[in-house]
Amino acid sequence: MANRKIDARVGQLVLWAWLLVSLIPVVFMVVTSLKPPGVATSVPPTWLFRPTLDNYAMVLTGGGTGQAFAPLVLNSVIVTVGSTILTILLAVPAAYALSLREFRPRRFLSSWILSTYMFPPMVSVVPLFILAGNLGLFDTYPILIVPYAAINLPIAVWILRSSILQIPYAIQEAAMLDGLTRWGILRRVLWPLLVPSVATAAILTAILSWNEFLLALSLTRQDAKTAAVGIMEFTGMFGTDWGLLTAASTVIVAPIIVLTLVLRRRIISGLTFGAVK
Amino acid sequence: MTTHTLPTKAVSTVDSRRAARRRGDRTGWLFASPALIVLVALTVGPTLYLLLSSFSRVELFGGQSEFVGLGNFAAVLTDPEILSSLLATLVFVVVAVSLQMLLGLGLAIPLSAKVRGSGPAAALMLLPFAVAPAVSALLFRQLVNPNYGWVNHYLGALGVIPADLDWLGRPATAWLTVLGLDVWQWTPFVALILMAGLQSLSPEVLEAAEIDGASRWQAFRHVTLPMLTPFLGIALVLRTIQAFKTFDSFQVLTRGGPGNSTEIVNLAIYRIALQSFRIGAAAAVGLLLLVLLLALTPVLLRLVGRRGDNEEA
Repeated sequence: MANRKIDARVGQLVLWAWLLVSLIPVVFMVVTSLKPPGVATSVPPTWLFRPTLDNYAMVLTGGGTGQAFAPLVLNSVIVTVGSTILTILLAVPAAYALSLREFRPRRFLSSWILSTYMFPPMVSVVPLFILAGNLGLFDTYPILIVPYAAINLPIAVWILRSSILQIPYAIQEAAMLDGLTRWGILRRVLWPLLVPSVATAAILTAILSWNEFLLALSLTRQDAKTAAVGIMEFTGMFGTDWGLLTAASTVIVAPIIVLTLVLRRRIISGLTFGAVK
Repeated sequence: MTTHTLPTKAVSTVDSRRAARRRGDRTGWLFASPALIVLVALTVGPTLYLLLSSFSRVELFGGQSEFVGLGNFAAVLTDPEILSSLLATLVFVVVAVSLQMLLGLGLAIPLSAKVRGSGPAAALMLLPFAVAPAVSALLFRQLVNPNYGWVNHYLGALGVIPADLDWLGRPATAWLTVLGLDVWQWTPFVALILMAGLQSLSPEVLEAAEIDGASRWQAFRHVTLPMLTPFLGIALVLRTIQAFKTFDSFQVLTRGGPGNSTEIVNLAIYRIALQSFRIGAAAAVGLLLLVLLLALTPVLLRLVGRRGDNEEA
């Protein structure tokens, strides 16, 4: 069927055209970050230059703007690791409870947890802002870590629950006959089998926390400010140093790109609450 | 619920089953409660706060809050700026998500073909999605810079646009830019969901249609598309929810401007609450947004909940 072949060719052509165009912002980011100062914003854009890491050195130490980016990256790391650990600690037992056949409200609670995905973070900004003020938590790590965990819980719980439900129930029954408690079953029988799903949930939580912008913008000022918010300072009223801006962007984006490329399938499956395998 | 007996030595009398359930309930609540407490605190808590403050005039910096009844809602629903932000949000969600669904489907078909390079293609596809929305907005702002942005330079050189086109300076082009950013960022998500869907279809059915003399279009329209429906549904509902939550890209790219032409509801809430400190009014708008999103909950539960649910019948 000649038509069919032509169709397929056109399809591949369209696909690769899209991929090329969609890479432009990423290419722009990486290429510009390696340009020596002075040629970053040259017109026409220069493609022949001696690549340098000067921009990265300047960004991280703050040589350029006075504001060092490294501490903000550290804040991002602390908030991301904190919220990831908290999410997993909360999600694993919850997912186990929601898989227990004797736990009667499990269906209702599973649905309720899934439906909290609807909740727009914007709606919690003002209450959190006021709460943070009253508790003296404004511009601290916990005021980001706990809400990030809440934002990620529906996805994490559903990933883990669906993975527990795939483990034959007979294994749990056998373990119970052997005298293991529920806690013992979770820790010794299920946990080893859950490690891949825990990894998926953890990585998704980490990505979303690392990239989060709204709460970090509203609830921090200096001490707990994350990189995703801090990067805005590289654009000023009087022009932007593209070298510094793109180097800082690359620092934020690179780890996430690596994770995404390695774990593509798991990420899509996780973000659809396990609905797409 | 299936009748399930705990492996106790007792015979499964009604009494022992009831005891087992009670025990199951206790364990269940014990294990689930930490997560539930955090979730309730951060969703039900803010909602209650919203309800209370939407009926009051809130003084953030000392002073007594007073009850104003439906005053905030009346003020909000007659405020042309807020109404236009609600409308802008709806238009943005519909246009952006439709474009992403169409493009996503168009890209998923070649993406799911078993040809050389489809693996790398799928990996490259997801790249824009990995870029933090705030960062990608920042990058887009540089690309459309009228003085030395790449888009302006190269498209200007080709004569497609005037090289000094100020994209973010006019409402129509500002909308084009934010829509372009959203489509760039989220089409991959849709495409990869649909790719997984297409790959899960059994080739036999399509072959059967072909043998029966169905044209390529007929086979797509009457065989592929119906089988793909659940995946289209999941992509549609998830993208719609996410689109309603959009904030970063608008805040960084346009800040709602020029004027308030691209001010979607999330930006309006942010401005009213944290810049004008009209907490009551912001709460009223927030509540409207929340109700709008909650209306989508049954769809989410049906499409995503049921498929993610591998539970016993």
